[in-house]
Amino acid sequence: MSSEEAFAGAVKGTIDWTVDAIKRFVIKLKDKKLAFIQDEETINLVKEQYHSSELSFYKEYVSDKEVLFIVNMGLTLRKLQSNSDRRTNLRNKIFDKYEVNGLHIAQFVENGILNRYVGILIDNMSSITDFKDKIIYVLKNIEKHVLFVKKEDNERSVIQHVTPSIASNSPLIYIISGKSSAAEIVRKCEDRLVQLLSDYTLEKISSNEMENLFFKRVIPKE
Amino acid sequence: MERLSLKEISSNSKIELLRELGYDSDGEFVLESGKKLLDRYLDIPIKLDNMVILPGSIIILDNNELSLSKYIEEFGDVF
Repeated sequence: MSSEEAFAGAVKGTIDWTVDAIKRFVIKLKDKKLAFIQDEETINLVKEQYHSSELSFYKEYVSDKEVLFIVNMGLTLRKLQSNSDRRTNLRNKIFDKYEVNGLHIAQFVENGILNRYVGILIDNMSSITDFKDKIIYVLKNIEKHVLFVKKEDNERSVIQHVTPSIASNSPLIYIISGKSSAAEIVRKCEDRLVQLLSDYTLEKISSNEMENLFFKRVIPKE
Repeated sequence: MERLSLKEISSNSKIELLRELGYDSDGEFVLESGKKLLDRYLDIPIKLDNMVILPGSIIILDNNELSLSKYIEEFGDVF
């Protein structure tokens, strides 16, 4: 009997299986020939992401498996941009498992910031080892390198956060990132931040939905 | 591998399936030895209406991208 034939007594969209069908399904499951899923979309998304070129790239350069998995979750969040319920659900799951640091790593990836960050690192790369170390360092110390502006923030709170953080950590690159209504707050801070961060040059990645300010430390010439 | 959606399957049939696999349900959650079975990657109770049952010594998970990605990472892309 096929799986289709086992769907006996379908009433108002609720399908009952016969006892025989259930026994056959269990045999197939144990033989690894069958999986019970909920929806194809979730499985297909997870599969697609697992085999994606972008994840393959990061597999080469992110040696920490847990961090790499969170990178994968960030890429998955990006794919869920048009499905806010599933995106919110996944964000909550990431937060529950990896706390705020993990969620920020995922956001860093989701918003395309990691890709640009890697590009800047490549421009200044001295060796592959150094490159790998810098990627893992920024991901593990995300709070020292990125400020994710929230809709509740304002120009004053952003400036008050950024200046001491840069003064104490002196990062090679510091990013201020805002999405939706927070993007406007980031835009309003730009001029003041450029004045305050005179040792840094600014590069922007902007869209209607997002504003990312990359402040890159100027290396003094000898 | 054949994939069978549980979305349109009656609760009774899903419970029968769980019993055949050595589990049970109180009608809302998946139970193992009378206690709520937890998703192995998220430590959250698994709802009957949102469970997936996957091969690999029979793995029952909550249907979400994180748990399924962890499963693929552990067992490979078996789908």
